[in-house]
Amino acid sequence: MELHDRLEEVFRQVFDNDDLVLRDQMIAADIEGWDSVAHINLMFGIEQAFGIRFKGNELADMKNIGELKQFLADRTNSDAAPMRKMHP
Amino acid sequence: MIPSGTVSPEQTPSSDRAETRGDAFRKQGRIEEAIHAYLEALTFPLPPALCLKLARCYDQLNHHTEVCRWALAIVDAGDDFTTWLAGCALFQRHAEEGTWPRLRSAKIALVSSFTTTQFCPLLRLAAARLGIQIDLYESHYGQYQQDIIDPGSRLYAFGPDIVILAVHEGDLRLPDHSATPETDVRNEVDRWTALWKMVAERSRARVLQFNFALPCEVPAGHLASRLPGSRYMMTQAVNLRLGEAAGHAVSLVDCERLSALVGKRQWCDPRYWNLSKQAVALDALPLLARHTASVIAADLGLSRKCLVLDLDNTLWGGVIAEEGLAGIKLGQGPEGEAFAAFQDYLLKLKRKGVILAVCSKNNYADAIQPFEQHPEMRLKLQDIALFVANWESKPDNIRKIADTLQIGLDSLVFVDDNPVERDIVKKFLPEVDVLPLPEDPAYYTRALSQYLGLETASFTAEDSERADQYRARAQIKELEAAAGSLEDFYRSLHMQAIVTPFDDAQLPRIAQLIGKTNQFNLTTRRHGMPQLTAFIKSPDYVHLALRLRDRYADHGLVSVMIARCEGDVLDIDTWLMSCRVIGRTVEATMLEHLCRQAAQAGCTILQGTYIPTQKNAMAADAYAKYGFEPADHADGHQVWRYDLRARGPITNTFVRNVDSWETLDGPP
Repeated sequence: MELHDRLEEVFRQVFDNDDLVLRDQMIAADIEGWDSVAHINLMFGIEQAFGIRFKGNELADMKNIGELKQFLADRTNSDAAPMRKMHP
Repeated sequence: MIPSGTVSPEQTPSSDRAETRGDAFRKQGRIEEAIHAYLEALTFPLPPALCLKLARCYDQLNHHTEVCRWALAIVDAGDDFTTWLAGCALFQRHAEEGTWPRLRSAKIALVSSFTTTQFCPLLRLAAARLGIQIDLYESHYGQYQQDIIDPGSRLYAFGPDIVILAVHEGDLRLPDHSATPETDVRNEVDRWTALWKMVAERSRARVLQFNFALPCEVPAGHLASRLPGSRYMMTQAVNLRLGEAAGHAVSLVDCERLSALVGKRQWCDPRYWNLSKQAVALDALPLLARHTASVIAADLGLSRKCLVLDLDNTLWGGVIAEEGLAGIKLGQGPEGEAFAAFQDYLLKLKRKGVILAVCSKNNYADAIQPFEQHPEMRLKLQDIALFVANWESKPDNIRKIADTLQIGLDSLVFVDDNPVERDIVKKFLPEVDVLPLPEDPAYYTRALSQYLGLETASFTAEDSERADQYRARAQIKELEAAAGSLEDFYRSLHMQAIVTPFDDAQLPRIAQLIGKTNQFNLTTRRHGMPQLTAFIKSPDYVHLALRLRDRYADHGLVSVMIARCEGDVLDIDTWLMSCRVIGRTVEATMLEHLCRQAAQAGCTILQGTYIPTQKNAMAADAYAKYGFEPADHADGHQVWRYDLRARGPITNTFVRNVDSWETLDGPP
């Protein structure tokens, strides 16, 4: 699965919305329910799904989906850690 | 519930293919075909991802029951936080009356020293898996003291049944090193027990507290474990003292053990603490939720009582009918050791009050042979309350076991190595819990130890003897069949009863009975310890506790009655009887003693109420049977009255009233 699809699956789980579609320009305010609690759940879900660990400061700020995807692309390419199999 | 780490979901390539097919169907909106593919892909143990996919598909079809079923299956399928969270949301949207097997509802207030926003929905899901619908009040993190101290707080306005003190090690008021550790520990223990006391005074709630997980970081290193003044040792002392202080009155969730179980490094993630004050890592929350829910279930009296055991490849390796005594694996070699260890663990459970029954497809003579002759058998025939070995179906036999032991199917846990038998039981007897035994017998004990349905709220003398009492009961059933008349049968039991007012020593057992008795329970009022203490203190209340013994067993404290004097009326608030002594005239003895109390109090009318529930139909005619007349009928409550002056006192000739046990003339 492409990075975009995998990320979308995490969002769908966290926001309990099977129809959610991600676009690069999206910010937190564009997605219903993206509050501080959901943000924590989301970051954790991404860590699990992509087998990465955010640094403490990276957890808090992420401008938009495009930036998040770029970040994940960089991190998953450079990381030697094997990727975990993702849940739906 | 399968512990993560011991067994991993092994997906075969064909199941992987089916899952991929399901994904494709789902993407095209062909939901029913997707469901078919996913069901085909199911492997054992259940993969959490597949449970969630199925729940999502049924969500699209708006099929409430199936959504709830698969969302609840996630609880047993592992501890993946994100999957649980998604399951919580789905369950929440579809859980309605009748869409899931609800046994009880409870008002739970959660007060905490750390963020519990994520924990709350998980707890709701884990509790629902055990049949409990939680109505939840969550206070702001760090507010637990204010909430408990202020009698006018929203916590008390909520009227909780249980108050959870979700607190963590960082909140302990202990210095990193103390010159006066004894004093510091005592002050800290006093602080917590004072909070418990306030809850008891200001509400009818029971307290459930998390104890303190020792941290990863120990500045004094190994030295800390021999410095009584180190925070490390003081924390252990606080845990110990809180356990001693809790006794029967307060429940604890042993977070120190849980943190060790998942590993201290996994228990707390400093990044998430820094970001949002998560003292327990999100990863560990599902485990904490499952364990907290099981302690709640035990407090509510929903523990399972009886293990129904298969024999071949469950209690020993191999098939006794084919391989014979010398051929089965037990005690010797690695596999034999595993089965022996499993039996040892079963014996320990039996001593804590779990009833053991056998349900095996075997010839009876073959089945009992190892119990009677194999030198390595830990379990003996007398450890088994009911031994069923025949060629009938397991669901039929399990029903028979429940009937004979007079316990509900929802008190049983089925233990069988054969996945087909497990599926059949699951399908035909959904009330019975099925233990997901792993393939390797070396992990049987661990699987059983991590099964949470056997958690209990207290340990009383009755508990340790319960298993034997049930065995006696099964024998009595046989005797009943043999006796000529019912009267002959009653007399042959040589029953004696000691009936006394409640005393403090009996209170835990009385509270246990009040909490869990469903069948012979006239009003099903679940009084907690604080109310029971109040009844004892009040001059207006009459309270009776009955202990029963017969030629087969000491049944312990089995019946409870609470009545209130109002002028010349003695009104029965609570009357219940353990189902293990139903049908033996014990009711008459209780009424006999109530009549005596009425005479002493100057009451001339006995008044009783029957409040029907789904489970207490068997008690519907209790009052009519002893000459009470119907007096009133409102909101489904039936009020009955007995005029003592007109009808005289009720007596029972089948149970002898004694002050202490008299010598018995039957077998032990």
